[in-house]
Amino acid sequence: MAFTGNFMCTSFKKELMTATHDFTTSTGDTFKLALYDNNASFTAATTDYTATNEVSNSGTYTAGGGTLTNVTPTSSGTTALTDFADLTFTSATITARGALIYNTTAGSGSGTTNTVVVLDFGSDKASTSGDFQIVFPTADASNAIIRIA
Amino acid sequence: MISAAFDLPRKDAIVSIRTTSNRGFTPDELAEQCVEKIISISDSAHPAIQEQAKAFSRHVEKVIAYYLRQAIHSDRTTVYNALKDAGNPELAELIRRL
Repeated sequence: MAFTGNFMCTSFKKELMTATHDFTTSTGDTFKLALYDNNASFTAATTDYTATNEVSNSGTYTAGGGTLTNVTPTSSGTTALTDFADLTFTSATITARGALIYNTTAGSGSGTTNTVVVLDFGSDKASTSGDFQIVFPTADASNAIIRIA
Repeated sequence: MISAAFDLPRKDAIVSIRTTSNRGFTPDELAEQCVEKIISISDSAHPAIQEQAKAFSRHVEKVIAYYLRQAIHSDRTTVYNALKDAGNPELAELIRRL
């Protein structure tokens, strides 16, 4: 079992049509990013966060992952997009192959760990007693992590 | 019928990962990251404009790195005094010498 690429979770696509997710800064839902080793096997069918194959607690990384800072959705031309601020775990010894972004806010029909996207880093990424930083792509119509064209 | 493209590239890396070993990010590394967030230069811009933008970018990076270093020194002064006031002068001195 291993990461097999990036996926926009199918459940997330459906939940967008039921107004389950709110990406607004500050007042929106709380999204988290959890890190996994390469034994994790997520697909578009993944619907919830799991602790199985999640990396161990280290430095500021704790089970469940880190809370993301939402960037209020905007539009560019005919494309709607949203983004997250980069996330850094400090003083951490971590080896991760990928990540899961999920919504931890209950309400409006949402569960507490509804998945958004699966991210495959392409290879193991490691920090040793240092910083492990996830850098999100430029928030524009061509690169933002979540875009509706 | 209305259809919208809404998915991720399957194989291309979406996010990039930066890591360090036995240290945190340096002011220079953070300044570089900061500038990448603030300034982007279009490949299709006139070469003269691109050069001007790159020069501006390099200057901004140096300014940010300088103030990041100042912030570190300033915070260490605060930590030094807090530790000294709490009765840990030796530990405070270690922080000061970092």
